[in-house]
Amino acid sequence: MKKITELIKEKRVYFDGGTGTVLQSLGLPAGQPPELWNITQSEKIISLHKSYLDVGCNIIKTNTFGINREKFPNYAELIRAGIECAKKAVADRDEKYIAFDMGPTGKLLEPLGDLSFETAVSIFADNVKVAAECGADLILIETMNDSYETKAAVLAAKENSDLPVFVTNVYDEGGKLMTGANPAAMIAMLEGLRVDALGMNCSLGPDKMLNIISNFKKYSSLPIIVNPNAGLPEVKDGQTVYNIGAEEFSDYMVQLAEKGATILGGCCGTTPEFILRTIQKMNDKPYEYPSEKNYTVVSSYTHAVFIDKDPILIGERINPTGKPKLKEALRTDNLNYILNEGIKQSDAGANILDVNVGLPEIDETKMMVKCVSALQSVTDLPLQIDTTKFDTLEQAMRIYNGKPLVNSVNGTEESMNAVLPIVQKYGGGLIALTIDEGGIPDNAQDRAKIAEKIINRAAEYGINKKEIIIDPLALTVSSNPDSARVTLESIRLIRAMGVKTSLGVSNISFGLPQRDIVTSVFYANALENGLNCAIMNPFSTAMMNTYFAFRALNTLDKGCVNYIDYASGIKQTSVQDNKSGDESLHISIVKGLKENAAKQAVLLLETISPLDVINNHIIPALNEIGIAFEEKKAYLPQLLMSADAASAAFEEVKKKIPSEQSDSSKAIVLATVKGDIHDIGKNIVKVLMESYGFTVYDLGRDVPPERIRDCAVEHNCKLVGLSALMTTTVPSMAETIELLNKTDKNIKVLVGGAVLTQEYADMIGADFYGKDAMDSVRYAEKFYGKD
Amino acid sequence: MKNSDIKIISSDSDKIEINRNELAARLGVDRNFTHSTIDECKAKLLKEIQYKCAYIRTPVDLSENNVCDFGFMKIPSKNLYKNLNGCNEAFVMAVTTGIKVDRLLARLNITSQAEHFITDALSSAAVESFCDYVSDIMKSGLVCAARFSPGYGDVDIHFQKPLLDRLNAAEILGIMLNSSYLMTPVKSITAIMGIKNEKDN
Repeated sequence: MKKITELIKEKRVYFDGGTGTVLQSLGLPAGQPPELWNITQSEKIISLHKSYLDVGCNIIKTNTFGINREKFPNYAELIRAGIECAKKAVADRDEKYIAFDMGPTGKLLEPLGDLSFETAVSIFADNVKVAAECGADLILIETMNDSYETKAAVLAAKENSDLPVFVTNVYDEGGKLMTGANPAAMIAMLEGLRVDALGMNCSLGPDKMLNIISNFKKYSSLPIIVNPNAGLPEVKDGQTVYNIGAEEFSDYMVQLAEKGATILGGCCGTTPEFILRTIQKMNDKPYEYPSEKNYTVVSSYTHAVFIDKDPILIGERINPTGKPKLKEALRTDNLNYILNEGIKQSDAGANILDVNVGLPEIDETKMMVKCVSALQSVTDLPLQIDTTKFDTLEQAMRIYNGKPLVNSVNGTEESMNAVLPIVQKYGGGLIALTIDEGGIPDNAQDRAKIAEKIINRAAEYGINKKEIIIDPLALTVSSNPDSARVTLESIRLIRAMGVKTSLGVSNISFGLPQRDIVTSVFYANALENGLNCAIMNPFSTAMMNTYFAFRALNTLDKGCVNYIDYASGIKQTSVQDNKSGDESLHISIVKGLKENAAKQAVLLLETISPLDVINNHIIPALNEIGIAFEEKKAYLPQLLMSADAASAAFEEVKKKIPSEQSDSSKAIVLATVKGDIHDIGKNIVKVLMESYGFTVYDLGRDVPPERIRDCAVEHNCKLVGLSALMTTTVPSMAETIELLNKTDKNIKVLVGGAVLTQEYADMIGADFYGKDAMDSVRYAEKFYGKD
Repeated sequence: MKNSDIKIISSDSDKIEINRNELAARLGVDRNFTHSTIDECKAKLLKEIQYKCAYIRTPVDLSENNVCDFGFMKIPSKNLYKNLNGCNEAFVMAVTTGIKVDRLLARLNITSQAEHFITDALSSAAVESFCDYVSDIMKSGLVCAARFSPGYGDVDIHFQKPLLDRLNAAEILGIMLNSSYLMTPVKSITAIMGIKNEKDN
């Protein structure tokens, strides 16, 4: 018998339809897992499969959708029985295949949920091992509504079997997965992971899938599976939509096939009759295998970014080189600072974020994994994993949700041998630097030769040319007068090879004053020569000016809409500048006007010292709102808005204070204790503490006692604030206090949180109970005041 | 696998009026308190909310004292039993604002505690308001008991699981439980609403 992967190249094949629907008609009670019948009613399962095979289906799905070790301790037995039923049904029929059916775990993965990525992989892996050993013909990962869980399942399938892998996801009417991905994003990720076919199933009827299918046809180079429901009763704003019958269903399936679906079948509510009619109507229709698409694309868990004519901005700010604040954030594990940089670059218009956390004194792999995961919880931009360490690259690519950009491979044997297999396995766009054992060639022709070498080597790993983006390297003109010319020529040569390009453009001006002037003109030149991606600073006005102007001048910005939007943003800011003169810093803080407060601080800093701004303006304003809050004349949201405004002002002040002079004498370690995932109270205290000028070591939530101790000891910080919101986690607070007391008698612990009272606080040996955030700040002020 | 008796209601975020009293209570402010930041947070939030509800109408058997038997789950509870007094049917529902709200909150937690706190309160009030909205649609002429949620009173929070499974909530609404039986998306509500016997009306 032909392999299924061969057959789908030659002709249209058909999946079976619904399982639950048919089993319910055979007497399966609602609410009972159908998988149990693999053992107790196997003859019914066999006859279900046969009924589909009889009407002409090529692939039957085993009755194993909901099976995994979390739900069924006897999962292996159920899987074996399920595959056995399918085997008996197929017997010696030709061109009939058994798809081991694997559905979602029913749990949401981190960071949104609490199932870790590797646990998810291992749950699926256990299933796959059994299925592979029992002789399934392929693995069908279906009804997945989350891209991350889909990735976990695909990795498990690939790492534990050699079977073909088919994947279908559940899209809503807007054409998105429950957690946000659109077809282009899923196709990018799944093709990168080298599945054999992909598509959609369940949830929608075939009528609704008609609206989405064109996106699959446009982007997918792989066969497209469409297994719709027979519709579903749905009430929207009082209107009811009803089921779709077999005749109507098959009509839609013909339309879906005409629009690009290559593998057809059904899901919930469909029966053999639905598939029979579909097959009958399709019989005389020609079959066309999807064409190879030539997109260079990366993706996040929501969308794909296509690298083509429209220039791509890759934000460079998360890279410690020359950034003391970021270095400090990495050393102190201050993820918030890093996440803020990510969000700000996204707001500034970056399309992709570069992530480089390489510092000699930290564990780069651990930090990279942590940053990638955390960044993906706050921004939906694709990330560029930027590291020279191969293990760091592999771990980050593994846990990345989507198809990342990789920065980078180069023409040395060492780099190609290490990086290419990783990209082959996980899929990714790949930045390739034109440097090898001989260094960076001084001419464009030789740089292009290195590019060619890398492209050819990548092809040996099955990595297509379209995945490779060549960085011909820009060297500073201050010491290499010919640099810009050579780089621009390289871009032209590489472009002529049909390959995309990227540049770290700011290197060109290294060592020169007012670098943005040179960099932005060079950027314009590079764009004119066909540069696709620039790794750059999206906060630079000169660079952004060039970007928006170039797009407007090159028919990339229809009606100049983006440019006008951008330009009016600049104008608005200057209008506000004039207005903001009226409200003083004090009033801005009291009223909670963040932007005004920052501007007023800048104005004040022109005439008075940073410390005077803090002591004579920020602190008195905060005290005023603090007292109003304590006297119940102001509400908590007002206090928080004031704290936000004060922090914004404080940020401006900090810019004027060299980092070594900043006041780190007032510090506090803050954490929500182990077992507790609520951090809103702790964060409120944090922002208020910061606005009062404290250095806050924020350890986050669910923090074990040992980590809190280690942090206090490391920073020689004698003040610790603990928060708990659930009664069940108060004991873990007590445990933490005990450990801190044992470690250093001078450490004072203040506690707070919804469930705490003075009595509780006394009972567990806390030094202070803060009834609210203001109360905690007062105590901390007093604590340091005494010293 | 789907059960065809599940009804779905979705609604555009701007169609649901966020209950002002609910919001004021959650913000800890007076009902008439206003601030431009709250309006800005609300505008941002509405862009992310995707209201959706799944519910069934199911018989409830109260023949055993202090046990509420819904067929697919049997809840031992004095509080719920009392709440369902006079009912032989109930609506079982789950509603959510969708996962994009979780992402917005995660982002605000990094960028601004004030906006985070306000948006958290807004989204809590929003899901309550949507729950009221769908309850009214379900009732349409029926006399119903007050809504009752697992985890409230003496109803064990573990009943979230069979309830959500019955509604196929993971697939239809994207609601999933973590190991502490808390729901994601965080702004989700499950509830039981008894339908009073017509002869008793």
